[in-house]
Amino acid sequence: MRKLAVDVVVIGGGSTGAGVVRDVAMRGFSTVLVERADLGQGTTGRFHGLLHSGGRYVVSDPESARECASENEILTRIQAGAIESTGGYFVTCPGDDPTFADKFLAGAANTGVWAREVSVAEALRNEPRLNPGISRAIEVRDGTVDGWKLVWGAANSARHYGAQILTYHRVTKIETEAGRVTAVRCTSLRSGEEVLIECDFVLNCAGPWAGQIAAMAGAHPVEVVPGRGIMIAMNHRLVNRVVNRCIYPADGDILVPAHTVSIIGTTDVKVDDPDNLAIEAHEVQQMLDAGEVLIPGFRNSRALHAWAGARPLIKDDRVAVSDTRHMSRGMAVIDHTTRDGLDGMLTIGGGKLTTYRLMAEHIVDAMCDKRGEHRDCRTDAEPVPGSESGRTHLVSDRLHDREHDRFDEQIICECELMSRKMFTDALASQPAGSFDDLRRQLRLGMGPCQGGFCSVRATGIALDAGHLDSERANGLLRLFLKNRWIGLWPILYGDQVRQTALDNWIFQGTLDVEHLPQPTSEVVL
Amino acid sequence: MSRVVVIGAGLAGLVAANRLAEVGVQVVLLHKGLGGLQLGQGTIDVFGYAPERVFNPIKAVGSVATTHPYTAIGGKAVLTGLDYLKKLLPELLLGDPESNYQLPTAVGAIRPTCLAQPSMIAGHVTDGAKLVIVGIRGLKDFQPQLIAENLARTPLPDGGRLRARHLWVDVPARDGEIDSSGLTYARAFDDEDFRVRFAKAVVDQLREDEIVGLPAVLGLKDLHAWRDLAGKLAHRVFEIPLPPPSVPGLRLTEALTARALAAGVRIVPGVRTVRYASSGDRVTSVTTAAGLGGRGYAADAFLLATGGFESGALNLDSHQVVRETLFDLPLAGLDQTPLIHGEYWGPEQPLFKVGVAVNPKMQAVDAAGIPVFANLYAAGGIIAGASGWTEKSGDGIALASAIVAAAAISKELA
Repeated sequence: MRKLAVDVVVIGGGSTGAGVVRDVAMRGFSTVLVERADLGQGTTGRFHGLLHSGGRYVVSDPESARECASENEILTRIQAGAIESTGGYFVTCPGDDPTFADKFLAGAANTGVWAREVSVAEALRNEPRLNPGISRAIEVRDGTVDGWKLVWGAANSARHYGAQILTYHRVTKIETEAGRVTAVRCTSLRSGEEVLIECDFVLNCAGPWAGQIAAMAGAHPVEVVPGRGIMIAMNHRLVNRVVNRCIYPADGDILVPAHTVSIIGTTDVKVDDPDNLAIEAHEVQQMLDAGEVLIPGFRNSRALHAWAGARPLIKDDRVAVSDTRHMSRGMAVIDHTTRDGLDGMLTIGGGKLTTYRLMAEHIVDAMCDKRGEHRDCRTDAEPVPGSESGRTHLVSDRLHDREHDRFDEQIICECELMSRKMFTDALASQPAGSFDDLRRQLRLGMGPCQGGFCSVRATGIALDAGHLDSERANGLLRLFLKNRWIGLWPILYGDQVRQTALDNWIFQGTLDVEHLPQPTSEVVL
Repeated sequence: MSRVVVIGAGLAGLVAANRLAEVGVQVVLLHKGLGGLQLGQGTIDVFGYAPERVFNPIKAVGSVATTHPYTAIGGKAVLTGLDYLKKLLPELLLGDPESNYQLPTAVGAIRPTCLAQPSMIAGHVTDGAKLVIVGIRGLKDFQPQLIAENLARTPLPDGGRLRARHLWVDVPARDGEIDSSGLTYARAFDDEDFRVRFAKAVVDQLREDEIVGLPAVLGLKDLHAWRDLAGKLAHRVFEIPLPPPSVPGLRLTEALTARALAAGVRIVPGVRTVRYASSGDRVTSVTTAAGLGGRGYAADAFLLATGGFESGALNLDSHQVVRETLFDLPLAGLDQTPLIHGEYWGPEQPLFKVGVAVNPKMQAVDAAGIPVFANLYAAGGIIAGASGWTEKSGDGIALASAIVAAAAISKELA
């Protein structure tokens, strides 16, 4: 058993946890973050990539709108490398209530969210694939954000301030003594080693799993209502700006250009288990229909991949539980001292990715109050590693890089323009990582071929780099293909069926990959 | 003279065009892409897994389920087709219908196939063999360590083990190029000077009695490049097929195309056949997307050899409706539900067995077994009932269905 001793243990490696551990470390506390999977593998990696301008909430939730507008500016400054400043439109589609746009403009004025009505002609000129039947268009400062880059940026900043990040460690127990948290026990899922982390504070940032974590400390049940949302990535950028329906928030009301794809989202269905999120066929059809309203011919575009995420909403008695969208998205900090008589633990829920930094600030402020000391939050002032230049991401950045190193570096994943060096560097920094761990940082296998050409190359290169043996290499290949399929089969139609058939001809037809020596047990992480 | 339109330039289309032209039929071959052979491994599979590994492919053909295309095609046509191909392309295909080769793949699995290219057969695995797998730094689709280590730890299909190690050489296909396709390397290997340089980089690293495994890029036009390289290395060598573009597949395509042209087939490449016209129970013409109104091709008989989902011959739309995209033919295999399931390593996806049903003449038939048109035939991947990549049966089905269809068409037209 390994023993560590720190001031604060942060549980959860999504955006909230990463933001919190950064804030805690920057305020001078010793800290460790514990995550049961990889960073950004839960809700943070399973959303549509929207950096809110606040526009979405100017009518329904003015407080959120204000927070979004202010955090959007801050994040664009401190996490520029993770953000693309695309801009966005709110458009009134045929059949939508045209007066909502007036409420929208009034709400924007009240909340200070920047918004400007533009002519339909201008909107169509800038986004020619938009439905020509739109009657109004309002320009906003929406952007897109790569959730994984955001989380890694925050985590790397935290490390710079001395924090430790333990991924693939599952919390098994939160030790208490005389009504105070004393330690967190966890187990490494890769080595099986137990780790005991002595601490005097635990910050529970486990999102939809926060209830499970709170229970480990013996707290009264924290009722989290995971709201499942599905997203579908469409090949290419059908739009270059975020396009929102100018209506009261609803399903399938947004199309987000993220990297080389466009993501349509989302649905909202209450589920019991955040680890078991189905992508229902009728919801896929619902998204395609919604896409058709924004972009005529949407169904003829190629769907690449689908996924489902769980919103980490904490139950609010004021609204019906079945309607999770209209529950407060405002962050909620649960104080377990007053609630459970348990000192040294706070739980945070709700919120949204755009406001992750602010959530962190609130919970760390709350912790400082409880510790009776004041330390200033500085997370809004300092860029994270890699974003120092303040230059925001452009979709053409990788092409630019490959143009410069094309005589020195092979391209291993053509769809996402990932070079060999990008892969081997990431592998060296995460030698025990799976190809999915590397994918989240590199976008390996996320393009149209969905791993058809790059995954065997990656397997061979990983073996060649000496970090693993051939049995694990095969196991990782099998795992990667299996995981790609999870997001493929629910949206398989049109050209992606054609791609799948080609991939099958490659993997089974030419390579006979299914008849490699069977693993003694399947690699699972 | 009778006229036949063949649509598709994969193995089925090319074989049928050749067979028809040889008996004096005027053949127009319309094709959109390069044909399916360049997507595959460039050998002729007949039956590789049924579902256990197959050693005698022709025997396995005789014991398929009634829904399998081999039932309508029959084993005799498979034998005729194999014999025909071996005689037509003696420099490119060797093998025995009663015995599969067991050949290493580019991940180091051991894959059964019926006819292989002469450049591959030294790779047929045998107990105690010593292999050295040679990777080329500039060719990323061939990872020699993965291949060698997997081969070394695999019990051979008929017992025993082989030894395998790997090595790398750095010989660019073109000066200063570090990221070359297999095709670029194949063209380099066509050049003797390149072979001399390549052999020089490899030869000193070889050990006695080692068989040298190389990516299947040893020449495209020069079918003896591999033999010349083996001579220069003074070792046996074998090629291992790569993901597309498949150089061995292109060799087959080019050889069959050259034969077809020599036999008088008119080939119209790069055109998509988009619609047809019919009169009574006969198709009268098909039209390609060319110019404004398209270009029509009238004929006495039509052979649909357009492939499956991979080529766009079949399409599943966003409302989950499957269609054959040219004639909108009735499809078989749609009764299996769900057509797609979530287990990647589980049973074959039923969707990929969907296709056109045929009778023993290879006429496309409806659910009642009645020909949809009296003069419309189907061959190859469009036929329902098999998953070629799983069984390793795609080439055999294409080849033999083309043989049957060509025979039925020429008989009908005679």
